[in-house]
Amino acid sequence: MPVVIAGVVIAAIFAFLWARDVMTPDRPAALAEPEPVPTVSSGEEPLVERFPRNKFLELTTLGLGGVITGIVTVPILGFAVLPAFTGKELEGVDLGPLDKYPEGEWREATFLLDPAAGEVSRRTAFVRNNGEKNGRPSITIISNRCVHLGCPAQSGGPRQDDERETIKTEQAELTLTPIQPANFSCPCHGGAYDTEGNRIAGPPVRALDRYKYGIVNGNLTLLQPYSVGKVDGEGSNAMIKAYGLQGPGEHVDGLEAFLYPIQAQDLE
Amino acid sequence: MSRARDERRTQHKRYKEDVEERGKAFYPYVMFHDTVMSLVVVSVIVGLAAIWYFTADEGSEPLGPSGSGWLGVLYEGKADPGTTSFIPRPDWYFYFLFYLLRIFKWPDTVVLGTVGVPTIALMLLLALPFIDTRRERRLFRRPVALVAAILTIVSMGVLTYKGATAEEGTGATGDVARWTQENNLPAGEAQEGAQLFAESGCTNCHTYLGSGVANLGAPELSSIGQSIDKARAKAYVANPRAFGNNVMPVYGETLTDQQLDQIAAFLEASKGGG
Amino acid sequence: MAVVPPPSRRRKRRMDKVLEIVNIPLDWLEERSGLVGGVKYFLFRKVPSDMNWWHTLGSATLTAFLVQAGTGVILAMYYHPHPDTAYESIRHVTHDVTLGWLVRGMHRWGASVFIILLFLHMGRVFLFGAYKYPRELNWIVGVLILPLAMLEGFTGYLLPWDQTAYWATVVGINLNGTGPFVGPLLAQFLRGGDEIGAETLTRFYAMHMLLLPGAIAGLIGLHLYLVVRLGVSSPPWSPEAAGRDREEPEPSGSTGLVRPGPRGGRPRGE
Repeated sequence: MPVVIAGVVIAAIFAFLWARDVMTPDRPAALAEPEPVPTVSSGEEPLVERFPRNKFLELTTLGLGGVITGIVTVPILGFAVLPAFTGKELEGVDLGPLDKYPEGEWREATFLLDPAAGEVSRRTAFVRNNGEKNGRPSITIISNRCVHLGCPAQSGGPRQDDERETIKTEQAELTLTPIQPANFSCPCHGGAYDTEGNRIAGPPVRALDRYKYGIVNGNLTLLQPYSVGKVDGEGSNAMIKAYGLQGPGEHVDGLEAFLYPIQAQDLE
Repeated sequence: MSRARDERRTQHKRYKEDVEERGKAFYPYVMFHDTVMSLVVVSVIVGLAAIWYFTADEGSEPLGPSGSGWLGVLYEGKADPGTTSFIPRPDWYFYFLFYLLRIFKWPDTVVLGTVGVPTIALMLLLALPFIDTRRERRLFRRPVALVAAILTIVSMGVLTYKGATAEEGTGATGDVARWTQENNLPAGEAQEGAQLFAESGCTNCHTYLGSGVANLGAPELSSIGQSIDKARAKAYVANPRAFGNNVMPVYGETLTDQQLDQIAAFLEASKGGG
Repeated sequence: MAVVPPPSRRRKRRMDKVLEIVNIPLDWLEERSGLVGGVKYFLFRKVPSDMNWWHTLGSATLTAFLVQAGTGVILAMYYHPHPDTAYESIRHVTHDVTLGWLVRGMHRWGASVFIILLFLHMGRVFLFGAYKYPRELNWIVGVLILPLAMLEGFTGYLLPWDQTAYWATVVGINLNGTGPFVGPLLAQFLRGGDEIGAETLTRFYAMHMLLLPGAIAGLIGLHLYLVVRLGVSSPPWSPEAAGRDREEPEPSGSTGLVRPGPRGGRPRGE
């Protein structure tokens, strides 16, 4: 209570003083003359500016401007560019029990390369069980992405769509269709490959990419994809000139391989 | 050098004076033309949109393409990264690049078709004012410019047209009914063979009654029955190497005897002409 | 009795009164910004008297671009840039949203019309020789707009996420990937990773909505500024072409002083 009374009194005093101040007319103050600006004399003395150019201020303005630009743009550019280059190791993809792939027959397998990413990672591969070599199963797994520019290549031969199987694995569903390819061909620009994936006609620059594989608990498991220069021999006796995975249209060997020295995977 | 520069500057100065003296006001004279043309443009866009929508129907499958009208489908099926039957095509204004890629079909020349030619073309366009520094603007006194323009327009037009009509090798299974009718294929082995022929990708190299791709040098087969009988056809398909053909796949290794019979019957029955 | 002014003068005075009222806000704006003067300069500037219909292609292209911008902004309110929902959102716009079919159709066909008009306009400028001095910079700006517009088309093509969108983008990105040395890195950047996926769609969306339209709009602004500053060129065949060389009167007798022009003629106007 006493605080309120004190506050009101103080406010009243200052209100009175302010009102009195506002109502008295301004006296024409004898304002001090600013220092006279030196003007050009008859040519003997140099002109003196009021605000001489200051080298230090110029440099620091530009310098700080550069720093600010860097602070803003470098993280933005990094954010735009770098995440594309942080690779993710692909987990193995379960392609179903090995007995779904009878020896000597081809299957067209459609699966999710990265189940966590969903449908957008659906891929197709042509799989053939070549039998056994040195006591271990030999499987040929060829990617269907044409290595000219990435169109989906197609199996050159009859297909038994009515015998298509859908297999549920732990991760996702996959589909197997029996096919009888005598070659693989691409409808976009006329590329053609033989049953080992070697190019036989058209613009593709190397053989079709393949996948590494493993057998886990009797199930065929898809592992890393890789690029292929050429395949000599057939089936379980195939000798594969393998390279790291490269994009379509990029030469892995020959004269033009020097055009593609750096792959994104090398930077990861 | 500087005399040319002085001439240019004088001419521009004269241009400015001429326009001041005898030019007309942009508004309303020229703006009227612009407005009329803009109206035409907007009407064309709206017209195309209306025709596109009203001539196409909603599709029947939940994730499938819409019906197709005068201006094509409203949308294709939902993206399927694992497809084996879809044939990719770009938007029409990229058809010239698309066909260029079919022209550069040797692996060593791929990079020319993908980036070489378009980049060179863009460089030339950018450098044009520095390549052509003559003051002359009348078309018939600029023979290089006129010929270059005609060549460019014609080649872009031809490339775009050829890209638009580029043959699609697969998807031929939809043509089997038409083949059966046009070539009077008898029921039984011949028609089964036609079905096999269509789904096995043969049309990726051969043409048959308007389907298929011809640019790999394989012969047209609609009338092959006039020069080949069933036995020879079967032997050829089973082992083209024996006939000197080193490109065609050796189908004897992958097809059953019955399938080879069916295809041979189909080829024998293909005597050409509707 | 007061003299009633004749009808025409009455109408004129009414018109004057209307103009006075209209000018009040305009003068307020002009005094505080100078913008009204700028617009008036643009509208009432003199242009060559022999301008013809060929010269409308440029503004027609601008109209097409504005149609794209307008319809694009509206479509962005309904579109979902994720692989799982993009396709459905486009179907929704096409079939369910009121007049959605019209806006989407205008955007899709407007893109084609825009590209066609771009090429026609470029061809017209080339054939008129309007890329020559002093309009070289304007030509360069215009040529820079061309690949940006085609990239707009390319990035927009992916957005419906149907078969044709996905596969055309696969091929397009791989095309970039074949470029020497930096190709694979550029392809990786465009894809947003090793494979085309959700990151690809969102970054194509960002490029299509923000980066490319911003760049194109900026270049168009520069382009228009240069057109107004440098003036529009007359058709080269016009007998009244602005800036044409005038025939110099022959000095009597001394033919040596008159320089013969190329092939007997002098370059026509500008």
